Amino acid sequence: MNRADVSWIFLGMVSAWTSLNPSLLAQEREAPTPSPVVLAAQQQRIESMRKASRATVAVYGTDGQGGGSGVCISADGYVLTNFHVSSPFGHRMRCGLNDGKMYESVVAGIDPTGDLAVLKMVGRDDFPVAEIGNSDEVRIGQWCFAAGNPFVLATNLQPTITYGLISGVRRYQYPSGTILEYSDCIQTDAAINPGNSGGPLFNMRGELIGINGRCSFEKRGRVNVGVGYAISIKQAMNFLWQLKSGRVVDHATLGFTVATDTNGKVTVSNILESSDAFRRGIHYGDEILKLGDREISTTNQLKNILGIYPDQWRIPIRYRNDDGIVDTFVRLQNLHLPSELEEIIKGESPQKGPPPQRKPGNPEIPPPDEKAESLKQNKVAKTDALADLYVEKRGYSNYYFNRFELDRILSLRSNQGNWTESSESWKISGEVPRENLTVEIMLSDTTLAFRMGDKSETVHPRQGWPQWIKQRSSIGLAMGMRIWQEWNRRGPRLMGDAIYLGRNPIVGREGLYDVTRVTVSDFDVLVYTSPDTGLIEVIEIFSDNQTDPVELYFDKYEPIDGRASPKWIRLVYGLETQFLVSINSIQIQDGQGGKDL
Amino acid sequence: MNSFHQAIGSVFQGSTYLLLFVFASNCIRASDQARDPSTVINNEAVIATSQEKVVKLYGAGGVKGLESYQSGIIIDNSGHILTSWSTVLDVNKVRVVTFDGRRLDATVVGMDPQNELAVLKVDDAGLVGFDLTIASAATTGQRVFAISNLFGIAAGNESCSAQKGVIMATTPLTTRRGKIKSLYQGRVYVLDVMTNNPGASGGALVDLKGHLVGMIGKEIRDEQAGIWLNYALPMDVVKASVDRILSGTTSVQESSLKAVAQPHRPSDIGITLIPDVLAKTPPFVDQVREGSAALRCGLQTNDLILLLNDQRVDSRKSLEKMLSTINRADSFYLLVQRGQELIRIHVRP
Repeated sequence: MNRADVSWIFLGMVSAWTSLNPSLLAQEREAPTPSPVVLAAQQQRIESMRKASRATVAVYGTDGQGGGSGVCISADGYVLTNFHVSSPFGHRMRCGLNDGKMYESVVAGIDPTGDLAVLKMVGRDDFPVAEIGNSDEVRIGQWCFAAGNPFVLATNLQPTITYGLISGVRRYQYPSGTILEYSDCIQTDAAINPGNSGGPLFNMRGELIGINGRCSFEKRGRVNVGVGYAISIKQAMNFLWQLKSGRVVDHATLGFTVATDTNGKVTVSNILESSDAFRRGIHYGDEILKLGDREISTTNQLKNILGIYPDQWRIPIRYRNDDGIVDTFVRLQNLHLPSELEEIIKGESPQKGPPPQRKPGNPEIPPPDEKAESLKQNKVAKTDALADLYVEKRGYSNYYFNRFELDRILSLRSNQGNWTESSESWKISGEVPRENLTVEIMLSDTTLAFRMGDKSETVHPRQGWPQWIKQRSSIGLAMGMRIWQEWNRRGPRLMGDAIYLGRNPIVGREGLYDVTRVTVSDFDVLVYTSPDTGLIEVIEIFSDNQTDPVELYFDKYEPIDGRASPKWIRLVYGLETQFLVSINSIQIQDGQGGKDL
Repeated sequence: MNSFHQAIGSVFQGSTYLLLFVFASNCIRASDQARDPSTVINNEAVIATSQEKVVKLYGAGGVKGLESYQSGIIIDNSGHILTSWSTVLDVNKVRVVTFDGRRLDATVVGMDPQNELAVLKVDDAGLVGFDLTIASAATTGQRVFAISNLFGIAAGNESCSAQKGVIMATTPLTTRRGKIKSLYQGRVYVLDVMTNNPGASGGALVDLKGHLVGMIGKEIRDEQAGIWLNYALPMDVVKASVDRILSGTTSVQESSLKAVAQPHRPSDIGITLIPDVLAKTPPFVDQVREGSAALRCGLQTNDLILLLNDQRVDSRKSLEKMLSTINRADSFYLLVQRGQELIRIHVRP
């Protein structure tokens, strides 16, 4: 019975009653007429829930058993859910939408620490998508609703809606048993039950504000006790592209720990001298004032905000030492070793325990039927849309997606003019306007030569770079240009081992950028490219993890011979700009290095 | 069927009416809003203001499933805090953490065993509390917010949790022995939301305007059905207790006690108390001597002595001190807790 029905019954009852009580007639007649404001609010609520339900996903195993929830966030079928929902199913599962259809699905990336996973549904290119809200604007006392598949009730694939209040924001929930840590999460009294895990939490406009995943239970058994937690959509969006990379994604540490001192200040209690934070000037005893976009006044707040960022991100930090307040950026380090993450995943593997059963009270399990089995296999063989969407590789939950994303980035290059036909021998000329120096870079397969003013240096084109980087040498510019050249000419896969990491911010620039890590002989390179144009924005070359990398910032691309070329390049070590070069020409010299085969 | 079941049953039977009521009251509120924007009910503001008047309390416990934390309500502007009377308070100083993260120490002013509540006091810290002089009775079907630190989720300057609910029934919590363990047997608001979790007791129930309408009670469970009841003590019950406690009828200044020449002593009455090993050892009766006055009057082993002549006994030491002020020839009254019962005993020498 919906609200409208109730109001009709109510009207009926009132009229019957008032006819017996004429004295009350006048005042009672008005009461049952709902105000237009109420009706409008109701209509909006219905619309929000209708919209939200379309993108809500019921997640099942391939045999239709078990179950959890998820939410579709892109028309091509990417689904956000919990790691603890997807992990019992291995790499493939089925996702149901409220159109009544089941879609074959495969896991892309997983984040065991943050309890997130991204799945990909196949079969459509117009999946209904949830509108992404702003979880920073969520306040205690606002209304919200959860949609999902509690107790695996959605046998007709229609999500269950539970309505509630935002009970708390910026909650930190310690890792429980495993490493599933919920930081900066949203607390609600909307009923979150087993099966709701991985499902969406919406605000009353029907915008996605969180991924439900955890409850406080203690002694009352595993049902809702009025306290559910959702991972903020901000955190999920920070990790989205990391997850789409098909990797086992890690969380981060700052390289230091903090404690609250006797004056209630949050100060550095321990710091690794090899950390980026130490190189940015943070030392024992310094007071941490701000991290990310959040003021810090307790150690919990610091843990909270740290948990929403992937490793390798550089995030703003404000600290105070004896000399005053310093604003800088710190590069986050990985929280776990790859081997540790592997252990965790093993612990969460399908054998660990059965997922929630569809009918907990019904012990009837149909006996294995050979005919049914073979039918099922036939069906899978005929309709296996997933066969090409899964590639097993160590360290990845699904290596297929890593290749897929790298292909996407590289395909963007085709708009930038064709470098692949060019020879390997380049002469790049420019100047440092500030110091009125000319710069010349010669790239060939035998040597990299660099001249700035009357200083010149040469280095091997592929190895021996780390020692120069440790010295913060200006020849880093030639190295960066070599990487830039190789990326455009041959592509990352021929340079070395290339892995798509996800999307990271760039210091001083808006938005997020695709990041690819290429391991070339004895060093690692991170290449940041624009998600729109595929142009290289930043190249970072690392000597080791205890020294600042050399960073090249590319600006203002202009076509030279029909190929997009940077007009400005800034050389940076540890956030300090060494110099800014204006590029005058890139000459590709035929003959010297021979034509590319 | 006990009254707990009745309460639930009547709510289910009456659910249609409840819906209607909620619906109707919504209409009225919303149309009020439409008429006068200044009366727009802003949940966020109401809850935020209420959260500033709810504190996190920390004390004894942490073993055998007993939480060492609960919630408390600031009930005036002079540092009085209302909370559930529980083992958490069995410490010299109860740690109070305010909404803005300040850590204060509170002492127990007094308690009311019958209503299972206590009033604490912190020294002037500029706390601003609810105004208990505003009479706020709630009715069945009314929407409310519950503010508490359930599960101890909030720490330091983090906000207590807020939950929404509807008062499903107002009913006495008379309990049949052994079914539901609760000392409190008076009227309660039964709520449709899971408020009564670990750490929630002593939290505030407020109406949509932010007026205090009740105090969240201790966790109680129907032993047979396994159902946990979510309820709050109505404000009139709470206020009567608070008034009694604050008027000083329930506690004494120990320093002002004057010993008489020939006082009562536990051993003379015929009881042995459990050894005094804590700062505040609860005055449990360890043994009752054969043929003693205590046995004759009905004291038993394991009785916990709560009140002596209606004055609070907070430890073995204070019992001995209070007994020392009563002449050996005089009779006196004890209130003891035996299991989940409160028993009043007249001790005649």
